[in-house]
Amino acid sequence: MSLLVYGTITSIILALYTVGFSLTYGISGLANFAHGALYILTGYSIWSFLNQLHLPYLIAAPLSVILIGIFGFVVYWVLLLRVRGVALAELIVTFAAGVAILELLMWKGFYGIQYSLPLFVRGGMKIGGVALDYQRLIVAGTGLLLVVLLYLFVHHTRIGLAFRGMAQNERTALSVGIESDWIGSLSLAFGSALASLAAVVVLPLGIMESAIGYEVLIYALAVAIVGGLESTSGMIVGSFMIGFGQVAAARYIGPKWMIIVPLTAIILVLAIKPSGLFGQFKELEERI
Amino acid sequence: MVEAEARYRKKRLDRGIKVRADTIFAIASYKEILYLILPRALPVFGLLILPFVLTDYWGKVLVYACVYGLLALSWDFLASCGLFSLGQAFFLGIGAYIAGALSYYFHWSPAITMPIATLGGGVLCAALLSPVVRLRGVYFAMVTLMLPMLLMKMIETTGLLGGAQGLSALKPLPKGWIGGYIVVLVFMTCIFSFRRLINEDYGLVMKAIRDDDRAVMSAAINIYWRKIQALFLAGATGAFAGAFMTHHYQFVGMSTFALDYSILPVAAAALGGPGTFAGAALGSMILVPLSEALRALGGMRIAIYCGILIISVIALPEGIFHYLERKYHQFERLVRVG
Amino acid sequence: MKNRVFLIFLITVFVLGFSVLSEAQKEKAPEKPSPAPAKPAVMGKPIIIGVPTSLYTPFGRDGLKAVNLAVEEINAKGGVSLGREKRPFKVVVTDTRDGEPATPTHDALMAYEKLILEQKPHAVVVGPFRSEFLIASMDLVAKHKFPQLGTIAQTPAFQKQFKTDPEKYKYLFRVTTDSTVPGMYLSRSLDILKKDFKLESIYVLYQDTLWAQAFSGVVRKHCQENGWKEVGYDAYAAGASDFSPGLTKAKEGKAQVIAMMWDVPLGAGIFAKQYVAMQVPALLIGFIPPMAAPAAVKTVGSEVEYSIAVEFPVGASLPLKKLPKTVEFLEKFKRKYKELPEAPAVNSSAYDSVFILARAIERAGSLESDKLVAALEQTDYKGVSGRIKFNKETHTAIFSDKDPNETGVAVVFQWQKDKKGQLIRVPVYPDFVAEGKILLPPWMK
Repeated sequence: MSLLVYGTITSIILALYTVGFSLTYGISGLANFAHGALYILTGYSIWSFLNQLHLPYLIAAPLSVILIGIFGFVVYWVLLLRVRGVALAELIVTFAAGVAILELLMWKGFYGIQYSLPLFVRGGMKIGGVALDYQRLIVAGTGLLLVVLLYLFVHHTRIGLAFRGMAQNERTALSVGIESDWIGSLSLAFGSALASLAAVVVLPLGIMESAIGYEVLIYALAVAIVGGLESTSGMIVGSFMIGFGQVAAARYIGPKWMIIVPLTAIILVLAIKPSGLFGQFKELEERI
Repeated sequence: MVEAEARYRKKRLDRGIKVRADTIFAIASYKEILYLILPRALPVFGLLILPFVLTDYWGKVLVYACVYGLLALSWDFLASCGLFSLGQAFFLGIGAYIAGALSYYFHWSPAITMPIATLGGGVLCAALLSPVVRLRGVYFAMVTLMLPMLLMKMIETTGLLGGAQGLSALKPLPKGWIGGYIVVLVFMTCIFSFRRLINEDYGLVMKAIRDDDRAVMSAAINIYWRKIQALFLAGATGAFAGAFMTHHYQFVGMSTFALDYSILPVAAAALGGPGTFAGAALGSMILVPLSEALRALGGMRIAIYCGILIISVIALPEGIFHYLERKYHQFERLVRVG
Repeated sequence: MKNRVFLIFLITVFVLGFSVLSEAQKEKAPEKPSPAPAKPAVMGKPIIIGVPTSLYTPFGRDGLKAVNLAVEEINAKGGVSLGREKRPFKVVVTDTRDGEPATPTHDALMAYEKLILEQKPHAVVVGPFRSEFLIASMDLVAKHKFPQLGTIAQTPAFQKQFKTDPEKYKYLFRVTTDSTVPGMYLSRSLDILKKDFKLESIYVLYQDTLWAQAFSGVVRKHCQENGWKEVGYDAYAAGASDFSPGLTKAKEGKAQVIAMMWDVPLGAGIFAKQYVAMQVPALLIGFIPPMAAPAAVKTVGSEVEYSIAVEFPVGASLPLKKLPKTVEFLEKFKRKYKELPEAPAVNSSAYDSVFILARAIERAGSLESDKLVAALEQTDYKGVSGRIKFNKETHTAIFSDKDPNETGVAVVFQWQKDKKGQLIRVPVYPDFVAEGKILLPPWMK
């Protein structure tokens, strides 16, 4: 029973990590390797607002999310627009930007146990005999809410539809008046905002440190690849597979093997079905 | 977007000396011979002298730069065949561990372990990557990104081959400049042989595979076998770098699979100019000493290093080598339009 | 296009020039001895102490602070007497980044070697954090021949490597504990728990690194020999971020005690919060920095109450009334740096190592490495961490739990509420430092 509960929570956390990454990739084809860095940057900004500017949490958190979204927008507009389409350059720019952000944070002394965000609500409840804290329930709730909201956004708002249009066929979208530069920047802005939203709910579960940035990136990559790089349902299934796989491996084989699961999953999926479980890139891009 | 009318255009012409140094006329006079030979001879000469001239620490930096250079060359070779790899650390680590294990458990000397590690490493890498050789583009890159991480975690978890502690106190290379020389010589051999290879028929087929593999397939050439061969060559180069590093530092640990070793060669190649092996070599010769020189800045080092990388990739997307080559062979003028 | 290229050219030249200049400057102008002490009447050339460690970890950062504190004290008294003159200490630092898992050991070795070749330290203190790096650095130190007084890395593999060639590795010393020492202290505390409260089922969780393996190995053996029921014995990868499988196992197996050994703040912090979140009804004991640090109540919450932790050696972050040297050290630290050291480990060893070095230099009457090593071997110093003497066969400091006037010691403490209802850390073992007894939480009765 506890396997079920904790497996679900882990899976939802993984899905939260991935949703931003997957959105950006789906719309503008940009694999955002700075994803983890943006996640941690949110944590740092909330912590600074709380402890140095003494703002209340209800202002600090949304402000940080918006700030990080704007930051993503600016990064795209200033840096990535110039190298759009050159996969190698995009990779290096986003990765170097991510590393630079994490390094700057470390240089400012962002490590150690005092860097911890407070829980929203203390205490917990029991579900089927398994003690679950409220924070994790909030995480689960946020994850579900986010998926629903995202679906509605992408299908029923103008910008969301523009996103889908660009994802499907950029040239046609251009000819209908959807400016790819602007939408591309917005896609990175949204991806960053989603990453920071995930950070807001998940970071209070532990202590913050720059090393988490790399970890989040790897998990996001793993889930995105296993599920298929731009399919939302694939991402959800992928996150559940990896989440449960991890918890089960820890339980039945040994906790040392927990980190091996996502890595092996990626390699196996790529070797057998590269487009991922639900990937739509089944066209001849991936294999001959 | 605002419309702008072009008032000037760039006019590029080959330099006189380049035109005069074409084909047989190159031997017409010393100027032409020098023009052609200097860009090749100067780096060779420099690299041959440096191990003698540099102090202890910077000599080590040179060795490190050559190791990274070998990785960058192997990356460039794979990229010339259409295989975009983000896992140079994989080649490095396999070569390092083979050499390390042979040295640790059997106490063989470097003269034996290094060749075995190079060839064995190449074979092993090609074998391990052959199931995914059908993948293209970003998917192949993902697999190569994950493989070294997987191996690192496996070694840490199972504790084999020294586990988290690594294998230490291995046999060193002969003292003094011999060690540095070996890697410098191999580095130069690799640059020149790769450059030669890519222009021979063998290399042309590789480049064709990168450009349009279906066309090559329809010419009845087995592209998978060719790709596996490319993996072998690149893998052997990386494995040599790993084996050398193991004996140079007398230590091998799971940190040999670190992400750092995968990303820096890519950055070096991007900086120097992908596609020409000289660019990859140039890039690593710039980046590694830069990274070491920046140590003076303490904590901000890596952040500044990344900043420089981003700026160079954005401002000079073709790479430094292409830019230099172009400047060397051509000159530009702005000419009024209309 | 031209402008852009010119721009990168400018930036590159600027950065390169800046770094080259600052490096050149470092060699020319001597660094001010960290922070300017009160009027030293020193004449001699400074004795250079190198501190190559991972500054982005609490152990490295606070270790460096402790070293600077000690150096300041010594320099204020005029420095170290060498021959006829007094010479001050000068600290040179490099960040080897070995505390971060992404750093390759070769990189750390390069940073260390750069420090050795450029700054030419006469001795090194604090030293490597990562066990792998410590073993790798042994060859480096043996090659360059200067004393290294390690005060962080706890792996017993150091002794093993040392014994393979004592003459070659004689320059290496360890001034702090190795992980079997806190293991022993924990085992004794478990004895008390068994005797006083009849507890008998235990779940052990540890970080999958050598030092923690040795630590938990000692505890496990002790439990097996003393009739404890082992609910589980699990290793988690050093980068683990989810301990729910283990905590679930402990809960379902009805473990009464959970023993946990971890050093990186990240995993330990998550564990602490998960332990609270999952409401596991077991007593927490072990080495979990976030739950044992002075700031634990703020980070983890009031649920730290009743958790038991071992601090090694004494004086790392907990002032002990019965050992006035620890109170003195921590007060000086707080006065200078405005807060206590964070991690409950090894800070006092860093402080002591500087004094041990100073005494050895004075005994040897020279800075020559071989003489210095011989003098270091004769060390018999009563410092903050107890009485430090080296085991001749392994060059490690001798620690036990009998008498702080004979060997180095550690302490086990428990978070308890004092009369005003504030949570404080009460030392409970060994008897010569104890200020209270172990209390059983009410929800365990």
